[in-house]
Amino acid sequence: MERILTRNVEKRDSETLAVYEAGGGYQALLKALRELSPDQLTDEIKRSGLRGRGGAGFPTGVKWSFMPKDPKKPSYLICNADESEPGTFKDRLLMEKDPHLMLEGCLLSSYAIRASACFVYIRGEYVHATRVLETAIAEAYAKGYAGRNILGSGWSCELVLHVGAGAYICGEETALMTSLEGNRGYPRLKPPFPAQAGLWGCPTTINNVETLVNVPFIVERGADWFLGIGKAPKNTGPKLYCLSGHVKRPGVYEAPLGLPLRELIYEIGGGMLRADRPLKAVIPGGSSVPVLTAAECDVDLDFDSLAAAGTMLGSAGIMVMDETTCMVQAIERIAHFYAHESCGQCTPCREGCGWMEKVLKRIEAGSGRNEDMDLLQSIASNIQGNTICPLGDAAAMPVASFVTKFRDEFQYHVDHKACLTGPRVREFAG
Amino acid sequence: MPKLTIDGKEVEAKAGNTVLQAALAQGLEIPHYCYHPGLSIAGNCRMCLVEMEKAPKLVISCATEVADGMAIATDSERVRTARAAMMEFFLINHPLDCPICDQAGECRLQDYAVEHGTGVSRFLEPKLTLSKAVDLGPHVMLDQERCIQCSRCIRFCDEVTRTGELGFFQRGDHTVIGTVPGKPLQNAYSGNVVDLCPVGALTLKEFRFQTRVWYLKNTPSVCAGCARGCNVIVGVGQQQVLMTTEGQLDDRIKRVVPRFNEAVNGHWICDEGRLSYERLHAAPRLDRPQAPRGTRVEWEDAVTRAATLLRNAAPGAVGAILSPRLTSEDLYAWSSLFAALGAVRIGAQTIVRGEDDGILLRADKGANSAGVRWILGPDATTPGVVSAIARGEVTTLLVVGDPLDPADTFSLDAAARSRVKTVIFVGAFLSGAAEAASVLLPSAAWSEEEGTLVNFEGRIQRVLRCHLPRGEARPGWKIASEVAAACGAGLPHWASAEEVLRSMAATVKEYRGLDLQAVSLLGVGAPGRAA
Repeated sequence: MERILTRNVEKRDSETLAVYEAGGGYQALLKALRELSPDQLTDEIKRSGLRGRGGAGFPTGVKWSFMPKDPKKPSYLICNADESEPGTFKDRLLMEKDPHLMLEGCLLSSYAIRASACFVYIRGEYVHATRVLETAIAEAYAKGYAGRNILGSGWSCELVLHVGAGAYICGEETALMTSLEGNRGYPRLKPPFPAQAGLWGCPTTINNVETLVNVPFIVERGADWFLGIGKAPKNTGPKLYCLSGHVKRPGVYEAPLGLPLRELIYEIGGGMLRADRPLKAVIPGGSSVPVLTAAECDVDLDFDSLAAAGTMLGSAGIMVMDETTCMVQAIERIAHFYAHESCGQCTPCREGCGWMEKVLKRIEAGSGRNEDMDLLQSIASNIQGNTICPLGDAAAMPVASFVTKFRDEFQYHVDHKACLTGPRVREFAG
Repeated sequence: MPKLTIDGKEVEAKAGNTVLQAALAQGLEIPHYCYHPGLSIAGNCRMCLVEMEKAPKLVISCATEVADGMAIATDSERVRTARAAMMEFFLINHPLDCPICDQAGECRLQDYAVEHGTGVSRFLEPKLTLSKAVDLGPHVMLDQERCIQCSRCIRFCDEVTRTGELGFFQRGDHTVIGTVPGKPLQNAYSGNVVDLCPVGALTLKEFRFQTRVWYLKNTPSVCAGCARGCNVIVGVGQQQVLMTTEGQLDDRIKRVVPRFNEAVNGHWICDEGRLSYERLHAAPRLDRPQAPRGTRVEWEDAVTRAATLLRNAAPGAVGAILSPRLTSEDLYAWSSLFAALGAVRIGAQTIVRGEDDGILLRADKGANSAGVRWILGPDATTPGVVSAIARGEVTTLLVVGDPLDPADTFSLDAAARSRVKTVIFVGAFLSGAAEAASVLLPSAAWSEEEGTLVNFEGRIQRVLRCHLPRGEARPGWKIASEVAAACGAGLPHWASAEEVLRSMAATVKEYRGLDLQAVSLLGVGAPGRAA
């Protein structure tokens, strides 16, 4: 397949405006400003079937259409570049190697929703990407692609880069807004939804980096072209897959939505890291989603196929684990992450994440009890659906799925105070 | 008015109300921690989860607006399970130190644990240990382990006082409330965060470890600290009666907390009012009748002395200075005495400190300044009497001291003292003009007798008797009528403050037609009663 989103990343000096323009950059912006009204642009995106690449897969054009057409306050676009989901590193590639593509996407989307400013909220750890974007934004302003009266169209839009301070929760859209406003990154209750009252109470749309970089191509080539990629009608377009774990060639790969998981692992990724250690499990969408066993891996990587398989595409962070992986240790590490990153605002997530971590640590340390597996599932179920934001679900779902699908490994830890898997059986002190 | 069904029962709710408010209005309590009617919605405790028809997940009733045709279940299996789960989450890291916790007995964790918890803990892990005594400011201590992170205290400081001292620090289950270095919780209303705290995390330094709350006798009353007249509940200690065989009643005020009155103070009171009772305890009380230099005299003798001094004064030589915190009943009784004596120069003090702060505090500290104007007239001011003293016209002075703050009792400066030959002192404290008095009659302090006060908006409100007058002290109206009788003036024979009120209702225009029932515990602010 022709590479679309990543077509520039291997070019020399791909992050410069000159290289981007030489490859036809900012032509989509020019075309949209000349030929399309904001509503026509929104309709085109709607028709393309583009769905949000940040994790939830909400149709982008529909999201845009929630924005008021005649707002009393300024409208804003936020580009969510706080890529923090474990196992996910696609936005980083885009920002470091093709920042102008993202900026063009930001500007087009801002035009569609009548935003007067686009805030790029970038993960604090992405220092290099931040520097690249700072330069790119300065170049875009200098060339008149951003700021006042863009390309003589009479439309103005500011680009503002904001560096986060390293909290996972600030990737959640409402926490991101609270953080951007200068407050502690706490998610907000919905309603009101961001399109009604978002950043500083103004109508706001939040899109992921990868979502936005699709927009210039749809403008350039049309919704029909986009519909021809992937699995129409609901899983269309190109997709970046972040492959990591026990595979020969981990990395970011571009392929249409609906790529078979086995094809990604065994063909694109070059197969399992060591031929004598077969596949045990795959987390298909970043650490927040339910795990798939090897037997469940005959599945296509798109929103609906994975939902049917009881998991999610999420941020397409595909983590591959071979048979030497201790599933108790793996989920203990994931649970530690969520206990550490839970913002502490609402009760079930604040208390439950820490509790799950403690129980898992105890099992892993050889002090597990027979009741602990049921207890973990009960805690997970008590968290799920009862929290302000999706972090609670993100912490609960993997725990529940690990315990359900690999219960025998947990039981082995409890019974033998030892681990069954791995290159050797690890014996515990206590 | 939207109609919705709650647990199968159709109810009408105010548009814009939340499901929780609609339920509370029906007398149905959906358990909640973070919701407070005086603060913004936080939605963080997740205790008020209910089932809403057609919603895939449970919704928090505190943040769900009522809508026509909505169907809510507050007691379904799913809701009960979720509630029990929340209770479990609240308690896993909670120290369960109820036996030494000041909140015990009025703790929402205790109440809801009994009502909605499972009664057993599945938590085997070590509990988090945090600091048990963080000094947040002059009045408030924090126990981090007991805190349930409901954010009520933070929202209070952000939204009501707009001082923003409090915030969350750390993340996840390590989240704690705190202040930033050098910026303690120090605002004029800081004590309210203690009342707001649904658990024992925030305690008032002045109340902590003083008594178990179930030993308190709680009486509704009105604060006499300023002209606002905030509605309060006064908690008087009763502990000694139960704990010892001595039979000695503790009978001191242990705390004062706000009592909701939308028309006056809403949900809050200021720290000054909350702690005004400390001055009642700290100052030396005048608790038995005295002649000069502390000589003890009997009541009858003291009354006779006072009456003789008043009667023997030359016509027009009697002056009187009264505290603006006296109840209207006291003021009315004294003014009746003065009317009978004739030609008494009457002045009420003006106590002004600070400024109106736009929240509750008033610069006018006279809790009954408006009552003074209604009963004694607009010309009854202290400077009038003082200048009459300076001119040598007034040589016999009756001082009725402050019933709340000894420092506010009128005192004579050296010049006035040289002019005034005789001082008759009536008061609760040995302060101010008491030292110059020829006879001293002990009167009841603010919390020791009932009556009415008129706030700056002309609202008539009731002060109630929270405990018995100290020592031999008697209500001011009673002392006035006894002195009047000894002077040979025929005042009505009042047996209670309520009877004084009845007399007053017949003669004072603004009080016309009122009785205690009409005043009620929330006061009356009838039109035409403007202050």
